[in-house]
Amino acid sequence: MIETRGLVKRYGSKTALDQIDLDVPDGAVYGLVGPNGAGKTTLLGLLAGLRKPTEGTIAVGADASKIGVLPDTPRFDPWLTAREVVELARSLTTSSGGSDRVDDVIEEAGLANDADRRVGGFSRGMLQRLGIAATVVGDPELLILDEPSSALDPMGRREVLDLVSRLRGQATVLFSSHILGDVQEVSDIVGILNRGRLLYQGPIHDLLVGKATPVYTLRVRSDPEVVAETLLGESWVTGVKVSPPDTLRVSVTGVERAEQAFPAFLAGAGVPVISLAPEAVDLEQVFLELTT
Amino acid sequence: MTLWRLEWLRLIRTKRWVALFGIYVFFGFLGPLTARYINEILDRFGGNLEGAVIQFPDPQPVDGLTQYAANVSQLGVLMAVIVAAAAVTIDSIPEMGVFIRTRVERMAEALSPRVVVSAAAIVAAFVTGALIAWYETAVLIGPLPTGDVLVGIAYSAVYLVFVVALVAAIAGKTRTVLATVVAAVVALLVFPLAGVVDEIGRWLPSYLVGALAGVPSGIPPTDYLGSAAVTLATGVLLLWLAARWAAAREV
Repeated sequence: MIETRGLVKRYGSKTALDQIDLDVPDGAVYGLVGPNGAGKTTLLGLLAGLRKPTEGTIAVGADASKIGVLPDTPRFDPWLTAREVVELARSLTTSSGGSDRVDDVIEEAGLANDADRRVGGFSRGMLQRLGIAATVVGDPELLILDEPSSALDPMGRREVLDLVSRLRGQATVLFSSHILGDVQEVSDIVGILNRGRLLYQGPIHDLLVGKATPVYTLRVRSDPEVVAETLLGESWVTGVKVSPPDTLRVSVTGVERAEQAFPAFLAGAGVPVISLAPEAVDLEQVFLELTT
Repeated sequence: MTLWRLEWLRLIRTKRWVALFGIYVFFGFLGPLTARYINEILDRFGGNLEGAVIQFPDPQPVDGLTQYAANVSQLGVLMAVIVAAAAVTIDSIPEMGVFIRTRVERMAEALSPRVVVSAAAIVAAFVTGALIAWYETAVLIGPLPTGDVLVGIAYSAVYLVFVVALVAAIAGKTRTVLATVVAAVVALLVFPLAGVVDEIGRWLPSYLVGALAGVPSGIPPTDYLGSAAVTLATGVLLLWLAARWAAAREV
């Protein structure tokens, strides 16, 4: 759906994006993560046609009328009602839906009771939900969402994540977020952007399995400092961190090797074990490893 | 809901139409009154002039329109600039600009309703004020030739459309409504300076401002044709630039 090659954006001498090769397959939910100033909004702006690249190419496999774009803090003329905003958005697309479609998306956005209120009195969260309603009303083939859940309370965030999940298979979704848990939950593919460079791009499962250092949590009844010293002599152990009174975090070279060697080591050394379990690797851990 | 209805609602719900019509209607009433009663006003409020007497000649019918044209050429045009700038400065709030920009194929599509509705409202307000001034002049001072007044109104309307086109073009280079207003006012003040040379002045858009009173006072309508042609051609060029500059802008 989206393919960029050698994409560069400079503002004067500052390079905001550097040689970005983005690949967003049809039907994917692509999560773009990165710290503030990484270039996420600039990249989405380029893809939405709101900015022009300094170098490189952008190929988007959807007609402009079938691309829905939601800025991070959507705003609308304050004297329009919510329904009028969505009706205007619908009238500017090629959507075949009528007023029923408008009512449906307003309902889905949780704004049915406020549909005829002027948006000047809306909270930021309500504006965000209205923005999403105005974006999906045209039945877009590609949605570009910039931090769609950042302004929402937990319930609103849940609704947005559910909405993105529901769009899977119906549309391609590219969204940016600094809430890594959200990206991990709904994305098929993740891109990690830092200082204008795309550090990783690929299936989120591959990232979690392949990039992060595997870690086991071991709880023992004996002195953990002594166990740590012994563990560090093993070739498959890359590091041990002791958390008194009884816990050790053991970094290993690989999961498969550790699964065989760890029980054998513990039995051989006669260590009384309370528990042993691999730590769940999350996107935040991988993100921090890649960006720091 | 269409982009055309959006502009209509912008005019109505923001109450800009009240300010626009209010100022033109006010001057429509005030112009002929001051023309008719200027001597009485000076007698009553002129103060002690130490024996000096200011005496204006008896008012002529055309003086009613002259007063109206003089008043609206300043405050009326300023109000027109503000109303137009508020409509055509699409990116004054970038997120609202994004909403429109990502939903139209060409910026001309987004700009056209804003320019047309603003210009129509401004011309309607001006014409309303002019008709009031014309009627009041006929009642208080004397009749004016209908054809000449209508030609004068038409030339003035062309000038106001040019003002909107100028504002639209400037908005393609500025980011805030205030910057658009200031730049447009400066442009409208500076351009006529070239008009101090009479041969040039007769070709400038600002020459049309005088047509409302000029034609009824006996200046041949054809005298304004050159300026009208330049104004129309410049207006079209400005609208083309407005669409081009707005499309080239990065948000």
